[in-house]
Amino acid sequence: MKWLNFPAWLPENVSTFGQGVDNLFILIYWITSIVFLAVMAVLIFFIIKYRFQEGRKAEYIEGSTTLEIIWTAATTVIVFGLAMLSLPQWNKIKFPSQFPGNPGAVVQVNGKQFNWDMTYPGPDGEWGTDDDLQLENQLHVPVNEVVHIRLTSDDVIHSFFVPQLRLKQDALPGRFINMWFEATKPGQYEIPCAELCGFGHSGMLGYLTVHTEEDYAAWMSERWSE
Amino acid sequence: MNDHTHESHDHHHEESFIRKYIFSLDHKMIGKQFLIFGLIMFMVGGGLALLFRWQLAWPDRPLPIIGFSKTYQETGEVATDADRKWEERFDDDKETWLETNMPGGVIDPAFYNSLFTMHATIMVFFVVVPLLVGAFGNFLIPLMIGTRDMAFPVLNMLSFWSNMLGGLIMMAGFFVPGGHAAAGWTGYAPLSSVAEYSGVDWGQNLWCISLIVMGISSLMGSINYITTIINMRAPGMTYFRLPLVIWSLFIVAILLLLAFPVVASALALILFDRMAGTSFFIAAGGGEPLLWQHLFWFFAHPEVYILILPGMGMASEMLPVFARKPVFGYKSMVFAMIAIAFLSWIVWGHHMFQSGMNPALGASFMTTTMLIAVPSAIKTFNWLGTLHRASIRFTVPMLNTLAFVSMFVIGGLSGIYMANSPVDIFIHDTYYIVAHIHYVVFGGSVFAIFGGIFYWFPKMFGRHMNATLGKIHFWITFLAFNGVFFPMHIIGVGGHMRRIANPMQYEYLQPLQPINVFITICAFILGVAQILLLINVFWSIFRGKVAEQNPWQANTLEWHAPTPVPHGNFGAIPQVYHGPYEYSVPGAETDWTPQTQPNGESLHGEPIPVGASAD
Amino acid sequence: MNELEHTSYEQAEGESRPISNARLAVLVLLGAEIMFFAGLIGTFLVFRLGSVTWPPPSQADVRLPIGVTGLNTIVLLLSGYTMFQGLRAIRQGRQKELRNWLFATGLLGITFLVVQGSEWIRLVHHGFTLSSGVYGSVFYVLIGCHALHVLVAVLWLLVVFAGAIAGRFSMNRYVSVEVCAIYWAFVVVLWPLLYILVYLI
Ligand code: HEA
Ligand code: HEA
Ligand code: CUA
Ligand SMILES: [Cu+2]
Repeated sequence: MKWLNFPAWLPENVSTFGQGVDNLFILIYWITSIVFLAVMAVLIFFIIKYRFQEGRKAEYIEGSTTLEIIWTAATTVIVFGLAMLSLPQWNKIKFPSQFPGNPGAVVQVNGKQFNWDMTYPGPDGEWGTDDDLQLENQLHVPVNEVVHIRLTSDDVIHSFFVPQLRLKQDALPGRFINMWFEATKPGQYEIPCAELCGFGHSGMLGYLTVHTEEDYAAWMSERWSE
Repeated sequence: MNDHTHESHDHHHEESFIRKYIFSLDHKMIGKQFLIFGLIMFMVGGGLALLFRWQLAWPDRPLPIIGFSKTYQETGEVATDADRKWEERFDDDKETWLETNMPGGVIDPAFYNSLFTMHATIMVFFVVVPLLVGAFGNFLIPLMIGTRDMAFPVLNMLSFWSNMLGGLIMMAGFFVPGGHAAAGWTGYAPLSSVAEYSGVDWGQNLWCISLIVMGISSLMGSINYITTIINMRAPGMTYFRLPLVIWSLFIVAILLLLAFPVVASALALILFDRMAGTSFFIAAGGGEPLLWQHLFWFFAHPEVYILILPGMGMASEMLPVFARKPVFGYKSMVFAMIAIAFLSWIVWGHHMFQSGMNPALGASFMTTTMLIAVPSAIKTFNWLGTLHRASIRFTVPMLNTLAFVSMFVIGGLSGIYMANSPVDIFIHDTYYIVAHIHYVVFGGSVFAIFGGIFYWFPKMFGRHMNATLGKIHFWITFLAFNGVFFPMHIIGVGGHMRRIANPMQYEYLQPLQPINVFITICAFILGVAQILLLINVFWSIFRGKVAEQNPWQANTLEWHAPTPVPHGNFGAIPQVYHGPYEYSVPGAETDWTPQTQPNGESLHGEPIPVGASAD
Repeated sequence: MNELEHTSYEQAEGESRPISNARLAVLVLLGAEIMFFAGLIGTFLVFRLGSVTWPPPSQADVRLPIGVTGLNTIVLLLSGYTMFQGLRAIRQGRQKELRNWLFATGLLGITFLVVQGSEWIRLVHHGFTLSSGVYGSVFYVLIGCHALHVLVAVLWLLVVFAGAIAGRFSMNRYVSVEVCAIYWAFVVVLWPLLYILVYLI
C-alpha cells in the first residue's frame, strides 16, 4: 500500500548526495516500522488476551530488571549506531571543508522578501564587478558538475530548498553560508522558500534550471557575449 | 515554626460567590478554573485550525458563510498577489476587520500566518500547559500527596489570574491595527523583531508581553508545586511512594521554573528591539539573528517535554488502575522521566540543523537527541509490561490512555527521522514536522488530557461523565485524528512545506492536493467530535450520575478523600503505608490496596505481602 | 490562626521539614532568577566572544566608568555584609541591632543605585545610549536588569525594615528577614560577576 510506504513519496532525487539521504531515510523507515509494528502487535495482543474476563485475576508483577536492561541497551545500541552511521553523510553535505572542489558554477543567492536574487560573478570570478549578472528567481547550472552557492539574505531569514536535490539551508541576513550540490539530471526544478519570512512566504518561489553541458555553454555565451 | 508568610484567615467563613468561584484560594477550585479556561481555549485554538485548514484544502475559495461577500459575487475572483498586499499593509484607510483579514471571504496570506501562529501559541501555552500543569497539577498535587492545600494559596490564585490575563492580552492581539503576531509560534527574529518585515505592529508586542505574563504565572505555579511536593507530603509519603503523575508534575515544575526565564529574557530583548531601538537580532546593527533561535529553543525544547511528561504521568496512573496491576518498573519510570528532563536541556539544536549554525554542532545535537529515545523506550515498554497478564477494563479513560501510548509511539518514532540531521535536511520545515508535532501533542498530551478528565471528573465534580458519549467521542476523535495527521507524513515526504497559505502555487505539490482536502475533511470531523466532549463535560457537571467516593477502586490518596472533596480535603491527614500501585496483591481480599491501608493487615488480619515498590 | 493552618502546622512538625516553605520558595525563585540572568549573560557572551574588538569599532571611544563602579562594587559587597550581620543579630534576638544593620544595608543599597544612576546619566550625556549598537544594548539591558533587581531588593528591605521598627521580629520569628536576606545575597553576589564581565574584560 503506497500510503504506508513513505519512501515512495519522496520526490525524484537528482543530486549526487541525495541518494545517501534517501538511504538513511529508508533505513530509519525500516527501523521505525519494525519497532512500531512490534509495539503495536504486543499492545494489541495484550489488549485482547488480557481483557477483563470473569474469574481471571491480574497477576502481581512489579517489573523485571533483566527486561529493563535489555530494552535500554537495545535502544541505545540502535540509536547510537544510527547516529554514527549518519555523521559522514551530514559532514559531506554541510561541512565546507569537505566540499568537492573545481566547481562548474559559483553563484551567490540572496533571499529577500519575497524573491531569490541570483548573482553570477561573471568571467572574472569576482562579485561586485561590472561583469556580474543578476537574475531574479532564475538559477542556471550545468549538469554533473559541482555547484558552489554562497547564500545570504537581505532582510529576514529565508530558506533555500530544492526538494529534488535533498538540499535545504537557511539564509541568514548579514552572513554568507556556503553550500554545494551536483545535479545529475537536466530539467527545471522549483526553489521554494522553506522558512516563514512574512506574508509573501507562501509563493516565494525560484527556479533551478539544470542544463546539459552544451546548453549551459550556450546560455553562458549568450549572457556574456561581448 | 514561623514560616507563615501566606494569609488565609478567612478560610472557615461561609464564603461569598466571588471568594468561592472567582478569587478562590482553594486548589481544587483553581484547578477547575484552569480546566474550564483550557477547554474554552482549546475550542478557540482548534477553531483557528479549522479556519486555515479550509484555506489549505481549497486555496482562495471563500470561506463558507463569511465568504460570500460582494466582491466575490461581482468578480467571482480574488487576487491574492503578495505585491498588492505589500502596498495595502501600510494603507491606513482600512475597512472592517473582516475585509482586512479575509478580503472577499478568502483568508489573506498575512492573516493565514497569524492564524497558525495563534493556533500554536494558544494550543501550547493556553491549552495544554494550563490543562496538564494548571488543572491537573493544582487539583491532584495536594490530594495525591495528602495535604490540605498548596503551600501558598494566594500565589496559586494569582497564578491562575495572571494566566487569564496573559490569555486576554493574547486574544486582544487579533483586534489591533496591523493584525496579530504572524511570525510563527517560534517567533524567529528578525521577522518578529522588526515591524516593517512582517507588517505586524502591536500584535507582535502583545504576543511577547502575553508570553512574559504567562511565564510569570507559571513561575508562581512552579514555586508552589515544588514547595508543596517537597514539604507537605503526608506522613509516610516518601518520594518513592509518590504516584508517577506527581513525579511528572514535580519534574515539569522544575523544567518550567528553569526554562521560562530564559525565553522571558529573550522576549524582553525582542521588545527592546521593537520599541527601544536596540539591535540584538538585527544583523545590520551588529545583532545576531541566530541568538533568538538559541534562546528560544533552549526554552522551547524543555517546553515540549513539559507538554508530554504530565501526560506520561497520567497514563502511568490510569494504566495500572484499569489493568488492575502494579505499574511495571516504578523506579525506572521515575528515572526515565528524570533522564528525559535532563536530556531536554542539551538537545535544543535539533531544531536548528538547517539554521546556519556551525555544522559541527549538528553532529552532537543529533547524538543527544537520539539518546532521548532511550528513556522514552523505557517508558513505552514499561507501559506494555503493565498490560502483561493484566485484567484490562476498557473504560473511557483506559481507551484514551491506550490511544496515548500508541500515538505517542508514532510521534516519537517520527522524531527519530528528524533527529537524524541528514534526513532532517529534507524534512525540516515540511509537514512531516507538523505530523510529528500533532502526534506527540494531540496523540500524546491531548489524549492523556481526555483520559484524565474522564478519570478524575468524579472526584472533581462529584459526578460521572457519560460513558457512552465518552466512547463515541473517543472513537470519532481517534479515527479522525489519524485521518488528519497521518497523511501529513505523506505530504511531508512529498516535500510539502509547512506555513504556506497556498500549496497550489507550487507545481510539484499540486498532485498532493487531494490529500490536503482529505485532511481538512477529517479535521472538521475532529472538530465536531470535540463538541461532544464539551457537551459531556458541561452536562455532567450538573446532571451526571452521582459518583461514589472511589469509583475506579484506585489506591491513591485522592480517592481516600470524601466526594465531593470538602475544604481541607481530608478529615485527618492520612498516613501512607506503601506505594500507589498495589493492585491484585496476592492474598489480599480486594484487588486494590489503598495507600492508607496499613501493611500486613487486611480485614481478616491476614498478612499482606507488599512488594519492592512499597519500600 | 485557624484550624486548617493549625493542622498543616502539626503535620509539618511531625514530618520535621528540613527547610521551611518560605525559605524553600525563595531558593526556588532564585533558580528562576539565575536562569533569567543566564539568558542575558549568554547574550552578552555571544556578542563579546563574537566580535574581534570589544567595544566594537563604532563605540571605540566609549569609556565605561571602571573606577567609580569598582568603588560601587565595594559598596554593594558591604551591604551584603551588613545584611548578614542584621540576620545574625535577630537570630540572637537583638532587635535594635537588627534595625541598625537593616538601616545600613538600605543606605548602602540606595547609594549603589544612586551612583549607578548618575553614571548612567553621564554616559547618556556622552551619547552612549541603549540604541548605540549592540555594545550599548547589552550594557544597558544587562546592568539595567541588575539595577532593577537591586531596586526590588531595596523595596523589599524597606518592608522588612518597617516590620523591624514595629518590632515584629524576634529570636523565633525572623523568616521574613531571612528570605529578604537570601534575595539580597543573590543581587550582591551576582554583581561582581557582571562587573568583571561587562566592565573589566
Ligand atoms: C509533546 C511534545 C513533543 C515530544 C514529546 C517530542 C519528542 C521528540 N521530538 Fe519533537 N517536536 C515537538 C514536540 C515534541 N517532540 C514540536 C512541537 C516540534 C516542532 C517545533 C516547531 O518547529 O514548530 C518538534 C520538532 C522536533 C524536531 C525538529 C524538526 C525540525 O524542525 O526539523 C526534532 C528533531 O530532532 C524533534 C525530535 C524529537 C525526538 C527525537 C523526540 C523524542 O523524545 C521521541 C522519543 C520517543 C520514541 C522514540 C518512541 C518510543 C520509543 C520506542 C518505541 C523505543 C524504540 C525506538 C527506537 C529504537 C528508535 N522534534
Ligand atoms: C497542543 C498543541 C496543538 C494541538 C492540540 C493542535 C491541534 C490541531 N492542529 Fe496544530 N499546531 C500546533 C500545535 C497544536 N495543534 C503547533 C505547535 C503548530 C506549529 C505552528 C507553527 O508553524 O508555528 C501547529 C500547526 C498546525 C498546522 C500547520 C500549519 C502550517 O504550517 O501552515 C496544521 C495544519 O493542518 C494544524 C492543524 C491542527 C488541527 C486540525 C488540530 C485539531 O486537532 C484541532 C481539533 C480541535 C478543534 C477543531 C476544536 C473544536 C471546536 C469546535 C469545533 C468549535 C467550533 C469553532 C469554530 C469552527 C470557530 N496545526
Ligand atoms: Cu522567504 Cu519564506
Ligand atoms: Cu525539540
